[in-house]
Amino acid sequence: MKILAFGKIAEIIGKPQLEVDDFPTTEILLGYLHQQYPALKNHKFSIAVNKKQVNGNAPIALGAEVALLPPFSGG
Amino acid sequence: MEKTRTPKNIFVEGAIAPEKIAKSIANHSSNTAIGGHSIFLGQVRADEKEGGHVRAIEYTAYEDMALQQAFEIREAVFAKYPLTCMHIYHSLGEVKTGEICLFVFTSSKHRKAAIDACEELVERIKKELPIWGKEILDNEQSEWKVNT
Repeated sequence: MKILAFGKIAEIIGKPQLEVDDFPTTEILLGYLHQQYPALKNHKFSIAVNKKQVNGNAPIALGAEVALLPPFSGG
Repeated sequence: MEKTRTPKNIFVEGAIAPEKIAKSIANHSSNTAIGGHSIFLGQVRADEKEGGHVRAIEYTAYEDMALQQAFEIREAVFAKYPLTCMHIYHSLGEVKTGEICLFVFTSSKHRKAAIDACEELVERIKKELPIWGKEILDNEQSEWKVNT
C-alpha cells in the first residue's frame, strides 16, 4: 500500500511517499511506523484514509490511499 | 434552474496578486442583485523567531484532499447563508512577507450574510484544509508554522 506523508512528518520519514505491506487497520500501521521511525512518537499527526481523516482505530481497505497529516497550518 | 457545483481549484502558485483581487471585484459589477461583498486577505507576517525573522512562507498541501474538503466546506456555507457568490484562493509554494497568501471573497444581497460567511470560511479553511506552511527565516533556517 501507498502512504503519503506531508510537512514535518515527511521530513522525519525522509520522503513524501512510502510503499509498505498492506495493513488492515490504522493502529497496526501506527505500530509499524513507530517502530520504523521512532521520532514520530514525539510528533502529532492524524491519518487520512482515502482523503478522509479518521479517528481512533479505523479499518484500511485494500488499495486505500493513506496519508499522514501533521497539524494543518494554512492561511 | 439549480446550478450543480463541482470541486474547483483553489490553489494559486506563489503569491496572490493584488491585480487578481481587483479583477475579481470588477467581475461582479454585472451582477446587480449583489448589495455587499466581504473580503478576507491573509498576508505573510515577518514574525520574529529565534535567530531571525520570517522572510517567506512555503506552502505545501495534500491537494486532492484539500480540494475535496474545500468543496464540502463551500457547499455547507452556501447551504447555511443566502450567498450570491463565493471565491476561495490559497497560495502554494513560496510567498514572501507582505504578500497575500489567502483570498476569500463572498457576496450577497445584504451585508450580514457575506460578512458571516466570509468569517466562517476563513476559520474552516485554516482548521480543516490539509495545507502546511513552512516559515523560511532570513538566516535561511526554517520551521513549520503553527496555527493559533
